[in-house]
Amino acid sequence: MIVVAALAVLLPFLGAVGGLLGPRSVRWAAWVAVVPAAVSAVLAAWLAIGRARVSGTLTLIETGSLPISVGLDVTELSALTGVLATVVALAVQVYSVGYMRYERRYRSYSAFISLFTSAMLLVVYAADLIVLYVGWEIMGLCSYLLIGHWWEDRANSRAAVKAFLVTRLGDVGFLFGIFVLGFGAGSFRIDDIITRFPEMSPATLTVGTLLLLAGVAGKSAQAPLHTWLPDAMAGPTPISALIHAATMVAAGIFVVARLFPVFAAAPGTLTVLGAMAALGMLGAALAALAQDDLKRVLAYSTISQLAIMAGALAARDADAAIFHLLTHGAFKALLFLCAGLVIHRVATNLMSGMGGLRRVMPITFATMTVGFAALMGLPPASGFFSKDAALAAMGEAARGGVLNTIFYGTALLTVAVTGAYATRAWLRTFFGPPAVTADDHHTGEGPATMLWPVVVLAVPALLLGFAVLTPPHLGTAVLSVALSLLGAGVVYAVWRRDRVRDPARLLGPLRVPFERAFYVDTVYSTLFVRPVWALARLVVRTDDTVVDGAVRGSGRTAQGMSGLLRFAQNGNAQVYVSGLLAGLLVIVIGAVVLG
Amino acid sequence: MHILYPVVVSVLLFSIGIYGVLARRNTILVLMSVELMLNAVNLNLIAFNVWLEDRLLGGQVLSLFVIVIAAAELGVGLAIVLAVFRNRRTVDLDRLRDLSEPEPEHEGRGDGAAAKEGVGR
Amino acid sequence: MTTWTGWLTVALLVIPTLGAAGLFVLHKPTESALKAYGVIVSGAALLPAAALALTFDYGDAAAIQHELNAPWIPGLDLRFHLGVDGISLPLVVLTALLTFLCFVYLLGARAVGRRRELVFALLVLDIGMIGTFLALDLLLFFVFFEVVLIPMYFVIAIWGGPRRRAAAVKFILYTLLGSVVLLLGLLLIWSQTGTLDIVALAGAHGAGLPRGVQIVAFIAVGVGLAVKTPMWPLHTWLPDAHTEAPTVGSVLLAGVLLKMGTYGFARIAIPVLPDGAHAVAPWLGAFAVVGIVYGALACLAQRDLKRMIAYSSVGHMGFVLLGFATLTPVGINAALFGNIAHGLITGLLFFLAGAIKDRYGTADMSALGGGMLGRLPYLGSLLTFACIASLGLPGLAGFWGEMLALLGAFQPAPGLSRPLFLVFMAVGGLGTLLTAAYFLVMLSRVTHGSPGPLVPTDGTDVRKYEYSAWVPLVLLILLFGLWPKALLSITDPAVQTLLGAR
Repeated sequence: MIVVAALAVLLPFLGAVGGLLGPRSVRWAAWVAVVPAAVSAVLAAWLAIGRARVSGTLTLIETGSLPISVGLDVTELSALTGVLATVVALAVQVYSVGYMRYERRYRSYSAFISLFTSAMLLVVYAADLIVLYVGWEIMGLCSYLLIGHWWEDRANSRAAVKAFLVTRLGDVGFLFGIFVLGFGAGSFRIDDIITRFPEMSPATLTVGTLLLLAGVAGKSAQAPLHTWLPDAMAGPTPISALIHAATMVAAGIFVVARLFPVFAAAPGTLTVLGAMAALGMLGAALAALAQDDLKRVLAYSTISQLAIMAGALAARDADAAIFHLLTHGAFKALLFLCAGLVIHRVATNLMSGMGGLRRVMPITFATMTVGFAALMGLPPASGFFSKDAALAAMGEAARGGVLNTIFYGTALLTVAVTGAYATRAWLRTFFGPPAVTADDHHTGEGPATMLWPVVVLAVPALLLGFAVLTPPHLGTAVLSVALSLLGAGVVYAVWRRDRVRDPARLLGPLRVPFERAFYVDTVYSTLFVRPVWALARLVVRTDDTVVDGAVRGSGRTAQGMSGLLRFAQNGNAQVYVSGLLAGLLVIVIGAVVLG
Repeated sequence: MHILYPVVVSVLLFSIGIYGVLARRNTILVLMSVELMLNAVNLNLIAFNVWLEDRLLGGQVLSLFVIVIAAAELGVGLAIVLAVFRNRRTVDLDRLRDLSEPEPEHEGRGDGAAAKEGVGR
Repeated sequence: MTTWTGWLTVALLVIPTLGAAGLFVLHKPTESALKAYGVIVSGAALLPAAALALTFDYGDAAAIQHELNAPWIPGLDLRFHLGVDGISLPLVVLTALLTFLCFVYLLGARAVGRRRELVFALLVLDIGMIGTFLALDLLLFFVFFEVVLIPMYFVIAIWGGPRRRAAAVKFILYTLLGSVVLLLGLLLIWSQTGTLDIVALAGAHGAGLPRGVQIVAFIAVGVGLAVKTPMWPLHTWLPDAHTEAPTVGSVLLAGVLLKMGTYGFARIAIPVLPDGAHAVAPWLGAFAVVGIVYGALACLAQRDLKRMIAYSSVGHMGFVLLGFATLTPVGINAALFGNIAHGLITGLLFFLAGAIKDRYGTADMSALGGGMLGRLPYLGSLLTFACIASLGLPGLAGFWGEMLALLGAFQPAPGLSRPLFLVFMAVGGLGTLLTAAYFLVMLSRVTHGSPGPLVPTDGTDVRKYEYSAWVPLVLLILLFGLWPKALLSITDPAVQTLLGAR
């Protein structure tokens, strides 16, 4: 059985190797990308259906301290997340064949996606935190490579660097968190940590989990490390679907859920997580309301939805968080792939360049409507059930304290704003007068390889909620649907008055700060980036003048001193002999006097 | 004979030699002064040899060595002086300063600039 | 004591020596004959190294194997004592391999003036480097340690860049100064213990050496080795030497010469002087982490590619020194792993920087302008790979050394101040972030963007000889990154013995 899990991880990796080093043909690259992803998906599904816990250790690496056990451990949670990752990855690979096959660099592109999938599966199935960290970081690398896929444009390159560095900042904390928990439990094995956490002191637990949280915030784009995600939209659209739905951002939430017993034992960490979530969900939703770029709307909505999952985790309901993670994975991947179809057709990311696409793109319209409904949490779409579960958990926790009540209130407010921005995006894209598009060589909706994944993903986005047979909580369900519709209604009312202008004008003077996401980027730039550059220049100057200056100074001092002596070297032999005589006299007198 | 007499003579000879080496400008005269010094030493060696009644006659043997070496040295020295005179038309020691340190060149042979290469962005 | 396989270690030294001597016999050799000669000799020297690795008893990696112990200068009781264990074996193989790859690279390099002298210098360099890693006698170690300087001086001074003289003089004066201090330290050990045998000294674990003497000796030996390593703030010879040295010089300088300093810590300073190490370790750690952050910041503001890579060595060696400073098995394992990884990765980086300089005629990043992935896609991809390996990405060799060093700092040896080392760990973690920053900024500047106005004079992508020199490095980086056990299982037993844990 463990071989199955190992194969699921290794196949996409081999696919990546084959794609990079194999023959230079798009056909080969496409096959070598799609087939391993498909096999992995089947294997992951088999693991999930089997429901048996599978684990195995290949070897133990002695480090001189705690050993690293190279092994896999498929729990129920891992199996589910694995299915999500592989299915979305497969959809993205198939979709990319249509979307990217005329790209010059399709080969490296599809290979990096395969590597990404492999790394995500390693994270999901890892039995050891260090092994998990390996996958965790490789994902960061792949996101760097894929966001920077169109590196001819400097802006993309900058976005890629930013994504890598911001997540790496969190990962440094993550690694230290692994050390803290690992030494606390005497092992890096996740199992051992989960069973031995009662032996750890509360301080160790809190510090360890807080440090882990830094990495989670980085990967899952939670405040204050969320700034890389909107910029990451610079990558090709299928990548956005992959990163923002199934893999990278899911990894953070997954890790918290995987180690949930440990987190649950550290109430301080959960409060911090709740605060981060509350800040992130509302802030990102408001930012999404003012964006003009369709993909950025979806990016901010990802931050907001992930914050809802984090909120559910902070409310001690890991099941609700994972439920929402799964449905979100499905509907967000769907939304991004639909956005890709739209962008493919109109050749712009901006919603001001879209409109009226309902008639020309009926399939996209239908599937994206499902996606938006799920995002807003409208029944019967999957998002309704999962968001309801999360909200109910937060409502339950709200009885426990003022802070939790505030978190719950924020979540409800976020639901309303979500309704508003989703409606705005939906209306601006598909309704209203058609925008004039200069580039109209794409007729129809797109190739079948792009449409099929969308249609297939629409099924879980719509129906996944019924798979988990928990009845909705009546109170929160009614409340959230009402709030969501309220937000939607306000936007619709504004839009009705003028179908060309952006309903975001409702925001008035707040629109610019929302669009700039409250200037967080600017603040970070002045607080961190520029001082580091200044420091770097200072270091170079210091290195030249002080450190190396001392070295050169010692050389110069030696030369200067020899310069004094060489005045005596005037070439006149008689002077030398006089010196000799003087020296002799001094020695003689010295010998006489002292002797 | 008392040892004092030859010693005084030799001191006088040696002092004259030193004076000549230090003060004369003509290279040939300087060489001759060196000979004077050597002979003062020879005188000393022989005088002490006799006075100390050295059975191995070390002083006398050594003075023979000195004489031989002085002859050789004078041969080489005069040849050099001749060669210098042919080249320079002078044997004035004050003007033969080829061994002096050249005028100090300016400091900094570029390694400072090398390190500055990497400054700035 | 002396086993027949001991002759393998001698062969490692004799083959390059004979090769160097053979150059005098050759009468007016042609360029191509010299090219082939270098590859054959260094390839022949690689064979005993491979045989050493194959016949090594991995079950007993802590023991000195393939030992040769013969009297050398009986009057002074100096012995010609060679051998390998888990600590030195990887370095010996790395040295032989890198030397061989350098000769392979020279196969294709365009007209090199005075090629016969270059081959001679590199072969003598090889003797010194391998001898340093094989020597088990303090004075023998020192002799080989010094032998390296002279050929490297000529390599920089003759085949270097425009400011090669100043760089070469700085290199040799600086490192000689370090060597003097090192020699004083070694003599102090000798005068106190009466033996120069490293095995005996290490086995004693400092018994018979008073604490005060150990501290003084550790500082002296440590400063001598730290110059070579180089440790901040004794590093300033390095950027100049690297920038001016020819490609093969840079590769061997970064790949092997720096390792001789860190190897000295593992072979001499820490096992022979445990009390001294214990007293000085906090200082060593402090200098190490300052070096990490300082090196990274200096890299951020560099304009010259080779100079940047040189400064990155300061940071990476900081991690190695931090590993030593923890005095834990994991820390020293980390240092030894980091050593090998840095040799492979930075060697590759310097090869690439040299190739770029060959093609564009400059290594100045603003002059290069960008778009290398568009113009020379394979070269750009390899550069990306090497940079990513160097910034410590898991799955590639650079990661394990850094991670394990930080792990060691998380729980340093008993008796060392834990809060202090936690601070070191945090600063080191920050350093990994800055390391990533400068490599990515560099990649962004050089490989991304649209191609700049500077057109390479030689527009061919990676050539065959370049592949043959680089692919082994790439494969080893991947191997050690994906399977760190390959290296850790050799070093760990030796390190445990060295610290007296078993």
